[in-house]
Amino acid sequence: MGTGQAIYAGWMEIPTSAVNEEARRRAEDAAIAALVDQYAGALYRVAYSVLRNATDAEDAVQEAFLRVLRHRDTLDEVRDQRVWLIRIVWNIALDRKRRAKTRPETDDVSELARVLPATGLSAEELAAAAEHHAHVLTCVERLPAKEREVLLLSAFEELTSVEIAAVLEITESSVRSRLFRARNLMAELLDHDRSLR
Amino acid sequence: MSSNLHNAMSSDSGPSSGEDTLRLIASLPAPAGLEERVYKALRAAPRSGRVLAWPQRFRARIASGTVMESNWMRAAAAAAIVFVVVGGGWGVYSRVQPGQAGKGLVMPQLMPSSGGLSGSGAIRTPVTIPGPKVGEQGTQTAKKPAVPKKAASGQHPEGEATPQPAVSQ
Repeated sequence: MGTGQAIYAGWMEIPTSAVNEEARRRAEDAAIAALVDQYAGALYRVAYSVLRNATDAEDAVQEAFLRVLRHRDTLDEVRDQRVWLIRIVWNIALDRKRRAKTRPETDDVSELARVLPATGLSAEELAAAAEHHAHVLTCVERLPAKEREVLLLSAFEELTSVEIAAVLEITESSVRSRLFRARNLMAELLDHDRSLR
Repeated sequence: MSSNLHNAMSSDSGPSSGEDTLRLIASLPAPAGLEERVYKALRAAPRSGRVLAWPQRFRARIASGTVMESNWMRAAAAAAIVFVVVGGGWGVYSRVQPGQAGKGLVMPQLMPSSGGLSGSGAIRTPVTIPGPKVGEQGTQTAKKPAVPKKAASGQHPEGEATPQPAVSQ
């Protein structure tokens, strides 16, 4: 079956555009598969930092790639695919978290104890560490949304301030000022809680 | 300027700010088999985003290679739909009889006067009855009495006669 000619099947002529479309579809599938291989882990971490639930984070990653599949025709027009994907999964995770407000809170301590690396730690130390992390996360939740978002994204080593600004659709200077405020607020919250103990 | 905030934070933020926790979460490894599950979800997702999609029965044949999906057949199907819709519309239109004349007043057709000039489309209007005339003072005085055409000789006309003073006894 030559791709450069029209194909005749009795009275019906099958144009080469059909063959080209098939080839184009295969190329798009390959491009999406490459995106999955390259960024699925990073997207999972971004989703998990917001949702803090492994199943929900995985669902968010799947939904993000389903959206990519829907917009596969315009995949070539995306300038920075990594930032684009992170922005998609970030919005999905925030949306899911907003909807999950009606559900009962998950037990952060047990969840963290399950996912934290346990190398070189005794069971007691692991429990104490999980409790500390859960307390920190509670304080993060008490931050204003804008500051919290910047703080969460700034924890990712692979994201620069410009990329965070692109994900949140704000300026880089706003990222820096919000991060400054977030860190001050976090320090105040943690000091306040420490003094109460 | 694209600086890494992680480096900036780690230089002056201690564990008290809680960012070590966030960094720990941000560096958690993805669960094993995540990519495979994403592939599976993508394969299960419906691929067709077109307005005209083939029925499931035909799609199975297309996948097996028996029927070739092409734009030509898609266009033919669209043309057939347009033909059916237009034909149905024309059928309805051609069967509908023009409605009878309305029940309103029918104006008589103007006939041109025989041998004369036409009325230029003017419609004859009935002569209206003149309204009642109320006798008023002003109108009575304004009315002039009938004047005899020729007065008797030696006499002045009435209008020019000198008034005689009234004699009272």
